[in-house]
Amino acid sequence: MKKTIVTCIVALALSSASFITQAKTPAELNDLEIAHVAYTADVIDIQYAHLALALTSSEQIKKFAKTMIRDHEAVNEQALALLSKLGATAQDNFLSQKLVSDSKEIINELSQLRGKAFDKRYAENELAYHKAVNGLVAGSFIPNIENKEVKALFEAGLRIFKSHENHAAMMVKNLK
Amino acid sequence: MMTSLQLSIASFLMLFITFTGLAQASETNVEEEAKAIEGTAHIIEIRDFVFSPISVEVKAGDTITWTNFDIVPHTATAIDHSWDSGSLKLGESFTYTVTDDMQLDYFCLFHPMMKANLALEK
Repeated sequence: MKKTIVTCIVALALSSASFITQAKTPAELNDLEIAHVAYTADVIDIQYAHLALALTSSEQIKKFAKTMIRDHEAVNEQALALLSKLGATAQDNFLSQKLVSDSKEIINELSQLRGKAFDKRYAENELAYHKAVNGLVAGSFIPNIENKEVKALFEAGLRIFKSHENHAAMMVKNLK
Repeated sequence: MMTSLQLSIASFLMLFITFTGLAQASETNVEEEAKAIEGTAHIIEIRDFVFSPISVEVKAGDTITWTNFDIVPHTATAIDHSWDSGSLKLGESFTYTVTDDMQLDYFCLFHPMMKANLALEK
């Protein structure tokens, strides 16, 4: 009985500590958690692009998807190089997990579509996804990043992703 | 009245000035001719998804060098695809020699919103 109470107290203390240190909003994430979110967001968009290359017959969509793979891989390469230089490792967090679980639903939905229905949904999702991530990067991440080099990489990344957002908007318009 | 010595000195000076002037003019002409043959070297930076400068005045024989300063790859590709840099990663460059009949409008194949142009000086 005594052992059970002690175990409960230790478990409660650990969960309380965890509650205190775990970020609950994007603005509370530390640099390494922010890096994890960005890396995850890049990987998700690369997955969408591979799905598009497998399912679309539209040259416009194929070109865009190839650009997403090329650009997001290049950004992640730079991010990993910077983390390695800083001797740090990105930290998983609630937002990365949310992005992954949302992406599974979207991949499931996209996988069931074909032809123009797929192209339209893929383009719309790319626009919405880049808008949402760019909003996070500009509004919550960049103002809170402490490391100068990490901040500079995010600023460069934002310029790239804004270009993707404009490109996606053009694609959505063309597919109407 | 000038003495014959003074006249000689004056004549020598006039000859010297004339000769130097001719030599300088000739040197300038040679430089201009060489420049015309070699052409001007233009530099275009690709930075933050923009070709900079966005418009460049060129003439046949000039060279243009595009260098990518962005993390992501770009291309400099003629709008009709008649010339193309291929994929330029961060820090990579491509040089092209201007011809009279080259396509002057170009863009980035990967990011089609990135457009720029050359103006051909005849």
